[in-house]
Amino acid sequence: MQLGFLIDHRRCIGCHACTVACKAENDVPLGSFRTWVKYSEAGRFPDVRRHFAVLRCNHCTTAPCVTICPVNALDKRRDGIVDIDRDACIGCKACMQACPYDALYLNEDLGAVEKCHYCAHRVERGLEPACVVVCPETAIISGDLHDPGSRIARMVRELSTEVRRPEQRTGPNVHYTGHAPVLLHPGAAGRPDTFLWSERPPDKPEPWPARLPVAPDTRIVLDAGHKVQWGWGVGLYLVTKGIAAGAAMLAPFLPRLGVEGPAALWLPEVTALLFTLATTLLLAGDLARPWRFYRVLTRPNWRSWLTKGAVVLALFAGTEALILALRLAGQGPLADLLRLPAALMGVAVAGYTAFLFAQCEGRDLWQSSLLLPHLLAQAVLCGAAAYLPFAPASRGLQAVFVVAAAAHVALSLAERFRRHATDNARQGAAFLGSLRLGPASPFRDGLLLGAGVATALVFVAPALVLAAASTGLLLYEWALVRAGQLPPLS
Amino acid sequence: MSRSHDPGFFQVTPLESFPPEEQWDDWVEYDAAAWPRRVERRSMLVPTTCFNCEAACGLVAYVDRESFKIRKLEGNPHHPGSRGRNCAKGPATLNQVDDPERILYPLRRVGPRGSGRFERVTWDEVLDTLAATIRKALQDGRRDEVMYHVGRPGHDGYMDRVLQAWGVDGHNSHTNVCSAAARLGYALWAGADRPSPDHENSQFMLLLSSHLETGHYFNPHAQRIMDAKMKGAKLCVIDVRLSNTASMADYWLAPWPGTEAMLLLAMARVILEEKLYDAAFLEQWTNWRATLAAHAGGTGAQRFEDFIAFLKDHYAAFTPEAAARECGVDAGVIVEVAREIGQAGNAFASHVWRNAASGNLGGWQVARCLQLLVVLVGGVGARGGTNLNTQDKFVPAPFARPEPQTVWSELLYPREYPLSHHELSYLLPHFLLEGRGKLAAYFTRVYNPVWTNPDGLLWERVLRDEERIELHAALTPVWSETAQYADFVLPMGVGAERHDLMSQETHAARWISFRQPVVRVARERLGHKVEWTWQANPGEVWEEDEFWIALSWRIDPDGTLGIRKHFESPYRPGERLTVEEYYRWIFENSVPGLPEAAAAKGLTPLEYMRRHGAFQVEKDTYLGHLRELAPEEREGTTADPADGTLRRDGQAMGVMAGGTARAGFKTPSRRLEVHSATLADWGWPEHALPGYIESHIHRRRMDPDKSEFVLVPTFRLPTLIHTRSGNSKWLYELSNTNPVWIHPEDAGRLGIRTGDLLRVSTRIGHFINKAWVTEGMRPGVLACSHHLGRWRLFDDTGTGRWASVKVAREEIRPGVIRFRRVEGIRPFASADPDSRRIWWTDGGVHQNLTFPVQPDPVSGMHCWHQKVRLERARPGDLYGDVEVDTNLSMEVYREWLALARPAPGPDGLRRPLWLARAVRPADSAYRLPPGNGG
Repeated sequence: MQLGFLIDHRRCIGCHACTVACKAENDVPLGSFRTWVKYSEAGRFPDVRRHFAVLRCNHCTTAPCVTICPVNALDKRRDGIVDIDRDACIGCKACMQACPYDALYLNEDLGAVEKCHYCAHRVERGLEPACVVVCPETAIISGDLHDPGSRIARMVRELSTEVRRPEQRTGPNVHYTGHAPVLLHPGAAGRPDTFLWSERPPDKPEPWPARLPVAPDTRIVLDAGHKVQWGWGVGLYLVTKGIAAGAAMLAPFLPRLGVEGPAALWLPEVTALLFTLATTLLLAGDLARPWRFYRVLTRPNWRSWLTKGAVVLALFAGTEALILALRLAGQGPLADLLRLPAALMGVAVAGYTAFLFAQCEGRDLWQSSLLLPHLLAQAVLCGAAAYLPFAPASRGLQAVFVVAAAAHVALSLAERFRRHATDNARQGAAFLGSLRLGPASPFRDGLLLGAGVATALVFVAPALVLAAASTGLLLYEWALVRAGQLPPLS
Repeated sequence: MSRSHDPGFFQVTPLESFPPEEQWDDWVEYDAAAWPRRVERRSMLVPTTCFNCEAACGLVAYVDRESFKIRKLEGNPHHPGSRGRNCAKGPATLNQVDDPERILYPLRRVGPRGSGRFERVTWDEVLDTLAATIRKALQDGRRDEVMYHVGRPGHDGYMDRVLQAWGVDGHNSHTNVCSAAARLGYALWAGADRPSPDHENSQFMLLLSSHLETGHYFNPHAQRIMDAKMKGAKLCVIDVRLSNTASMADYWLAPWPGTEAMLLLAMARVILEEKLYDAAFLEQWTNWRATLAAHAGGTGAQRFEDFIAFLKDHYAAFTPEAAARECGVDAGVIVEVAREIGQAGNAFASHVWRNAASGNLGGWQVARCLQLLVVLVGGVGARGGTNLNTQDKFVPAPFARPEPQTVWSELLYPREYPLSHHELSYLLPHFLLEGRGKLAAYFTRVYNPVWTNPDGLLWERVLRDEERIELHAALTPVWSETAQYADFVLPMGVGAERHDLMSQETHAARWISFRQPVVRVARERLGHKVEWTWQANPGEVWEEDEFWIALSWRIDPDGTLGIRKHFESPYRPGERLTVEEYYRWIFENSVPGLPEAAAAKGLTPLEYMRRHGAFQVEKDTYLGHLRELAPEEREGTTADPADGTLRRDGQAMGVMAGGTARAGFKTPSRRLEVHSATLADWGWPEHALPGYIESHIHRRRMDPDKSEFVLVPTFRLPTLIHTRSGNSKWLYELSNTNPVWIHPEDAGRLGIRTGDLLRVSTRIGHFINKAWVTEGMRPGVLACSHHLGRWRLFDDTGTGRWASVKVAREEIRPGVIRFRRVEGIRPFASADPDSRRIWWTDGGVHQNLTFPVQPDPVSGMHCWHQKVRLERARPGDLYGDVEVDTNLSMEVYREWLALARPAPGPDGLRRPLWLARAVRPADSAYRLPPGNGG
């Protein structure tokens, strides 16, 4: 059984009754929508027309939001509805990165994510969703797509229908007919700074990158806003995690890199533990319900890389703590021996985010095959920077840093300028370049500071390298995180 | 219906749209807020009628059986017009109920009018004060000094009865800023002042309207228009800007504003030339003989062919090419649309209500020309054609109708406008300032003239004037720009908090819809005693029906004024009428079929209506003119040997058609009047035939070199109501700014881009708004929606903060007023957590303040379109600035007033007796006093 919708845009008049009926039924907060109507205009006077599209959760057959949710709060029900348990949700917002359709929003009062759940509470009482009932034009058809005798299945069979972003291979169960294709291809049309009778929601104020192509004579004239959910916290988390991982990754090689004395004995584990702690605090702090962080481990979803990442972090921290304890207990050789598996765990700590980001089906920029090597290079860069003050003249350490910095620059430029496979990734890459923080370009200036200036400092002021490298990196990560979320999904 | 409570699994399809009727008293559903925990909530489902636009769609309120809170409002499946479905404004009624900014208690002004300070008073004080004032006016014989001024009536006839019981001529309306022109155009044809298109069964639809998004009657019409389209009918929309409706049309024609009548006449000419007309219908049902007699000379033997030849000759100049030049619409498309109309034959549905009719000088001829097309193809009253509202609307009679009043208020129907449809409402301040009268008691009810009407600052002036308006009570569910100038602000219920009975001509059927105070009904059904609706409403929010009963008793406590008897129970002689008894009597006595339908369900008629909310009286209401006259109607009539008109005492009563005596139409000739003797007799012989009047904003009057444009200021938005949606947060979230639409060519010439500030100057002032550059606009024309731009002067009184910006009002020179915004819309703390989430800041710009009054000399319609000068904002101009020179207001008023051709007409009348008039007085009141203006 698969409940789904057919949106019949031969009939839809763009009246927003569905939008408001949904708000009334589900008490959806201002600024957020479970279903909304997007308008576009195409053509030139007098051959110009406005088109409408009703957008919402697709109740995907392979729902990426369900996969990524670390605590199993999202659930594909046996009737095909993708439902969410707000009591279980910890507010990590990963589902909002995973969804390629902008279907979810954070209810800030609850600290939980919400979305169209096909009015499951009505369905279980035998009623159609509120949007279906209100529609003056009966343009929203609900029913079981798997029942060949159902009206919806028959219409989907007989009409030429389309789904949103099939290339995401999520198996959307909301079908469209009679629509303007441009409305299902986000980003294909330009958006003015105001809409025809609404202000443009302030969620994504960045101007559309000039170099991106848009369909001529077509523009979006009314749309809902979708907030950018991940920001500085996630950027900083990537940096602190990189330092922790990098410290561990280089630890077995410290003697060969010329780091000696107490620094070599204590610094790797202390650094790894401190920055893992910082990473954990940042992760928890970014949750809408931080006190529920533990649920990642008590109700784990083993398909989610957030869950796996949490376990990796926990094991890593445990190992580092064990090494520290062994050394304190005078078991130095054993501690040294453990640095090799700890380094491998550091690789996992640095790298798991690549797999997490790969689960973010809504962020094609992040789903890059270069991300894994890039994260590792960044970790090495951070690790080297962390040790440099303690071995300022170490040619080996300098070489490691310079090579890692060069790799970081090369991979960053590749992310920015290579040929991306999808529109969403292209748009993300364009935003990566066009983002501004005041007068600064965080992408360009992040690289200049984190790789360029930091490399110079290696030779003149090694004590400042870590500060420069991590600040530069933070700028870059922030830009990457934000740019990935800016291309419209709907 | 089987149900599963197995979490995560549900096996029943198809799903139902509504809870089964037998469970409406105790419907158990899961609380959406607790989901996926399955927390059961029990509701009573009580039908009511939406009060947001005038369509009277059905709603069903879910009233919580424990808290008696309204949980939500859905459609009413029993409603014949809306069929269980609604537009966005229906479910948004909940916002209006729950609005933390709403007025909950009666307020009395403290300090001078408009100072923004009010104190809470008791309803007793309110009623006593108003009653004493009105009683005194009645005792003094000042029966034109009590005025009830209504924006959104929401009922059929209740107030007519109240006012006639008082014996005053005091009903004022919003009609002449809305539909006066179309009303006159339609009334001249058939004596019915509204079209009722049968879209559902039509083959071709021509709309000078935007019925897929707004208007009378958006939701019911939109359903049927699209149903017809899906069945293969075609849709043509004439609108100067790209509406959502135009976007769904097969043909969108955007003529130069004001040239619509020419466009329609060109289509009529094609139909005539290509013989696409229905000759039999025309011959039987038009006054072609009178038309020939009046225009082609001679009264001898006339042939129908001569009439067709005359029409062809009369409209010969209206070639498609000429129309293309005048209107800016492709000639080929004009011919194509005309042929489509001809091919649709009598299945041709059409509609104009505002649009070009309300925009232009002579706009009433637009409606007349549109209806000419319907008449030509024989579509009047036909299945799939365009019916008359009188066929499709059903207004049941209440008990004991009072005698009509014997006075005539010239503040309502001044002699300058004998054909107006109807009250010259928006000229009230001008009349008062001219010293034509004063008001002892003035009620504004769901009416916001300061904001809605043109020349709002003149309204402000007279509303502040305690000599001209001695007492002003604003009956309103919400604060408004007008209420802040009232002496009493009296909170009245929204759509789920009041009784009303309505009917609208939504399609080929007649139905009634019952508005109910749903919490009261739910409480009563559970055995609670509720004497007055306000006891079940939030705070002390009254319903008007009860207010008028209570007030009438206090005006005439001992019955000596002859008023009280009309408000005594028809069931309990001598005792005060209850609102329940009022409707109970109607349902038991005046609605054919209802008692039987109720009995079949084991209910009383009142119970039936309480549970169903609506009743269909009749369907397939076609061809009313073919109704056979009853023997008593025919008695004493004689048939005219020439044309079969049945007359009694010289007055036409019907028409012999095909050997049968038939009712015909409600015109003096009982036929559709191509030639209007009324127009000829009342001073407008040059317009006696459907024709084209050059608008006041004709292109000829525009100088592009001076950057002169036509501003079309009348378009509505799909999710707002004129002035009462300000407290619907879900609607404001969707619509919150009204930029000026401008075509890229014009914008390019002036170097304007979307978002740039513009200064738009009218005759009396200017406003500063931003530009919306769009291809969806005819070059040379600007458009700006009138649905936004709400403002308040104070923090704690005045229009609610969801929608209004705070403005500073300053008299910058004598008589020159400037409004400047000092605070945009912003989040605020309230019991509703959403008020902190308000993300919009703008609220739009109030343009109507800058419009002078422009009364059409015939229909009395305010001609909304404005000739404006457009420029980029000047240094110092700020977004939202509005500046008006009120010194010019009266000057422009007098210019337009001079165009009128005053009464008396034939027989010394103020107005033709056959034309409808709101709250019609006795015939004697129609006669101007001898020697008075004769």
